[in-house]
Parts: sequence; C-alpha cells; structure tokens
Amino acid sequence: MKNTNHASAAGRWLLLPCALLTLSVQAVEPARVVTDSNTAMQDPWVPPALRNAPAATPTQGAELRAQVEAKLKDRFQMADTKSTGTLTREQAQAAGLGFVVKHFDQIDVQKTGAVKFDDIKVFLRERGARLD
Amino acid sequence: MRFTYFVHGTIAALLLSSCGGGGGGSSTTSTAPVTPPAQVFTDPTVYSSAPNASLTTAAETTAVTQGQITVNGAALNYTATTGHLSARTLTTNVAEASFFYVAYTLNGQNAATRPVTFFYNGGPGSATVWLHLGSFGPKRLVSGHPAVTGGLFPLVDNAESLLDVSDLVFVDAIGSGYSQAITPNNNQTFWGVDADAAVFRDFVMRYVAVNNRAASPKFLYGESYGGPRSGVLAFLLENAGVHLNGVVLQSPAMNYNSNCGVVSGAISCGGFLPSYGATGSWYNLITPNPGTASLPNFMTQMRTFATNDYAPAVRNFLTAGIAPSPSLLTQLSATTGVPVSTWQTRFNLDANTVEASLIPGTRLGRYDSRVSVPNTSPLAVDDPSSTSITPSFSSGIASYLSTTLQYTTPSGYTLLSNAINTWNFSHDGLQVPDTIPDLAAALTLNPRLKVLSLSGYHDLATPFYQTEMDLARLGNNPNVQVRNYIGGHMTYLTDASRMQQKADLVQFYHDALLQ
Repeated sequence: MKNTNHASAAGRWLLLPCALLTLSVQAVEPARVVTDSNTAMQDPWVPPALRNAPAATPTQGAELRAQVEAKLKDRFQMADTKSTGTLTREQAQAAGLGFVVKHFDQIDVQKTGAVKFDDIKVFLRERGARLD
Repeated sequence: MRFTYFVHGTIAALLLSSCGGGGGGSSTTSTAPVTPPAQVFTDPTVYSSAPNASLTTAAETTAVTQGQITVNGAALNYTATTGHLSARTLTTNVAEASFFYVAYTLNGQNAATRPVTFFYNGGPGSATVWLHLGSFGPKRLVSGHPAVTGGLFPLVDNAESLLDVSDLVFVDAIGSGYSQAITPNNNQTFWGVDADAAVFRDFVMRYVAVNNRAASPKFLYGESYGGPRSGVLAFLLENAGVHLNGVVLQSPAMNYNSNCGVVSGAISCGGFLPSYGATGSWYNLITPNPGTASLPNFMTQMRTFATNDYAPAVRNFLTAGIAPSPSLLTQLSATTGVPVSTWQTRFNLDANTVEASLIPGTRLGRYDSRVSVPNTSPLAVDDPSSTSITPSFSSGIASYLSTTLQYTTPSGYTLLSNAINTWNFSHDGLQVPDTIPDLAAALTLNPRLKVLSLSGYHDLATPFYQTEMDLARLGNNPNVQVRNYIGGHMTYLTDASRMQQKADLVQFYHDALLQ
C-alpha cells in the first residue's frame, strides 16, 4: 500500500521534533464535479428493457414468511458445504454467518457442536421472530 | 468553473504521535478518545466512474478537520474525516472496493454508547451528495424549496443536524463520488442489487473495525434506491452478525414491481392517487381546497378513495377492459384537479402526465410536484425539482470537500454515474427488486430492529401511499413506523418539514436505543 498522505499544496512547513506543524497559506481549488448521465437523476427508474418485467404479486402473511425462511435456509445451505444438514461453529464462521457464530451456544441447546436449521428457527422464534 | 482562492492560516496540522505522517483516520484508541489532529490530504489517485475501471491499490488515507455547530442551543465540536476505506470480502478478507466517505464524529464521546449512522443516496449511481448537503449533516445548502431561485444556494450550519444524537457517515456507492472498485473487480462488478448491498455491508464492517465501533448502536439511512439497498443490506449485516438498532427509509422504492412509474404493464397507479390530490391542492385546483393544514386529513380520505374505489376500477379496466363510471371520473377530477378528459383517456394515470399537463404551459417536478417552471425555462429540460437544485449541490460539494474538509484530488467527483444503464436489477428471482422480504428477514434475525419510513406528500417518484402499502406487507409491527411530510422526495429540503423530521428522528433514535 502506498503512503499517499502528504500535503502537496503550497505552504510553509515547520519541522518540529516529533511534530509536524503547518501554518499555511494555501491555494485551494474546488473539486471538479462530473455527471456521466445525460439526464437528471430518475431514481427509481429501470432501463427500457426491464420496464415490461413480469408483474410480481406482492407477498404478505404466510407467503412472505415463507420467502423469509427460504432466504435464511439458502444462507444455511450455502454454509453447509458437506451437506450434513448441520453447521459447526467453524462452518458458520467460514461462510460469514456471523449471526450463527455469535449466538451459537444459544442455538446449540443440545450441545452437540453442530446446529440444524430448525434449531436456528427455534432460537429466532424465542427471540420474537415471526416464523411459521 | 475553476476558482483559485486563498485560505489564510486555517490549517494547523499537528501530527503529534506520527512523525512523518502515516495514514490518518485509523486511530485504534477505543477509550478516552482524544480530538484527532487536523490534516490536509491531497489524494494523488485518479478515480474513474467507468464500468470497467478499477484501482490497482487503494490507500486508506484521510483528511481530518475540526468543526463546530450549534444544535438546540448546545455547541457540538466534531471531527470530519474525509477519504477512503477499503471494503474487504466477508469470508476471504481481501480488499475489493475503495469507498469514499465523510464521517462526522462528535468529539469526546464513548464509542460504546455513541450511535453511528450510515447515509447513502440511491440512483443507483448517485453520489451521496443530496443527503450529505441537504439533510442532517452539520452543514446544509439553503435551497428555498419549493421556490425556484436563481443563483447558488449558500452553505450554512445546520441547526437540524442529527449530530447531536449520532455520528454521521456519508458514503458514496461504487462508481460515484470517488468510490471505485479494486482489481480484479471493476465498478461494474458492484453494479447490481446483491453485489452492491454486499459491498456496502463490507464497507460498514470495515468502518466499524477500523474505528472500533463494534459496540456502537448502528443505524442505516438510505434514500430512494437507498431504501431497497437498506432492505438487502440490513439482512446481510444481521446475517453477518452486525446488530442494527434502526433503519431509516427516506422516500424508499422498496418494491420496484409495485411502482407504475418504474414498470409498465398491468401495474395500478393507485398508490399515486393521494399524491395527485396533494398536488392539485397545492395548485388550488380542488374546491373546496383542504389547504396545507388539513392536508393529512385529506390524504386519509384519498387513501380510502384510492383503495376502495379507484384501485378496484383500475383493476377492472386493466384486466377486463371495463370502463370506469362517469361518477368515478368526476370524483377523480374533483379530488385531483386533473380534468375528466384526462382521466377518460388515461384512467390508470401515470405521474408523467400529471407533471406535464396539470397546468398548461408548465412543467411540474417529479421529485417534488410543488416545484414548477414554464415549459420554456431551461430548467424544464428535465424534472425541474431536480434541475433547479443540481447546480448548487454540484458546486457545493466541490468547494466544501476542498476548502472545508481539506480533501483535494485532481479527479472529478462523480455526482451521477451511468451505473443505472447496466445495473443488474434482478434479485431473488425477480427481474426488478422487491426488497420487502429482505427487510422482513432482517426483522426476523433481529425482531427489535426499528424501521422508520419518511416520505413527502408531493413526491411523484416514490409516492408515500405506495410506500405505506409496500411496508404494510410486513404486518402489524409496532417497530415499523411511517411519517409523511409536506414536500417531495427530499422532504428535508423544505424547512418546516426538516424541523418536524428532525424531531421525529430524535424520538426514533431514542426509542431504538432503548432496545
């Protein structure tokens, strides 16, 4: 990594023992600002090819909870690299599942050293999460 | 637009402990914080917003300055840290993207109890300049919104800054501002719903690690596309073990599939109808006009009208070609000021039509329909609520970065990249994102997480009622709250609304910190 911390602007420098003091008279030029887009910001907006995206019915209730569970399970299964249906603390750590790592002992109530997806659901429900 | 001017004796950089000056902004002191010494930084790196651009190396160097503002009668002394941090991959800890940010931290605070909030605009492709210089930072540009004034807005101390309740970190998305990918990635790598949220997660985790903020209460504050980004990001952070206290959604587009201004086809514009009513009221096209004071009551009626009468009729019209009744058309006209003839030809009325035709010869703003200019005005080339403020925010950030924050670079600061044109909008099997399930997943991992959604009644981009309906999918959850204000997309540009919003935010932070 380059050490790029230096003041290149014109200025007088006084070097003091173990201290660096600048009392400067500086020329400061405003940053240039660029805008790549040739239109004003249109957020939210999608390119024309996506404007006719198939309509998705908004989910709620049990259907939304099922989506949430699928998202959680997806993360669990990605971490379950050996397809055992369980995660050790190390597997959770390796997959970046910090939530499982942080709460591992609370989730692993049987103290088996490996947690199932259902163990996580039980833990989440106990904390007040809405899961079916 | 190149000025050279002189700042006399403002810089006294006293680097006490690091003779020779190493990278700044990475103090490892976690207790008894001291005020960091000031340092200027001229960044030699050349930054690019091109899709294929990437940096070969990235330093985490910062400019550091001191500031003071007064909020609620109390003087707040703060440190502004401006520069870059390298987001690192979650599992392999490899530098992947260099984020440009400005952090305002209150001096002499205990990091364990002092909240920190991460702000970002949307686009996607926008730098976080609107929130940074318009909302709750220590300085703000005086826009005079919704009046269209000539000249550039002055930059003033922000009496409504949130700095009294939280440290504030304004961060630019990759390819905007001075944020750029690190090789072997390029900017395009992070131009997608999932990749963008993941790299924001990695930035937040890097900021927390470098600044010893693991114990600090954490908040997200995203605007517009920053709303869906927050939905995905909140889930990714909680999943990674980063506990959030609160998420503030500023005029969020949580579900692109429900916004008839984003996707066409059989999408009802029912969520826009109350905002059309607010617009008609603003221009006194409704008799009797409820006026500003009674606007919330009028909006309550309009929500009911939209849901009970208009939306079912639109559904019948779109799916079965059933024409609306004359009495409904009359009522629509009476409550919006849009002529019956327009409702007859465009029953599922889009916002563009309202902006272009509500007042003949005049173009209304999309972000804020209260802003209007004659069609002949140069500002009418695009949304006038955007074109009327962009020059001031553009020149404002340019001079503020270099003169006040002491960060200079020869590179251009990218206000708006072209990311939106090649953005990967697909997410969880849909072509355009629905991030309500992500927010629901974050609330599942952290049921105490508090969410506050803020919208403007006169916003025709992300209408408040559509946002309410999107969030209603989460069910009756007291931790999810909605507030609406007089104003547009950037409610904070309206002085009275910014003051109300500040008060609501103070209450929100108070509640979220009790958990």
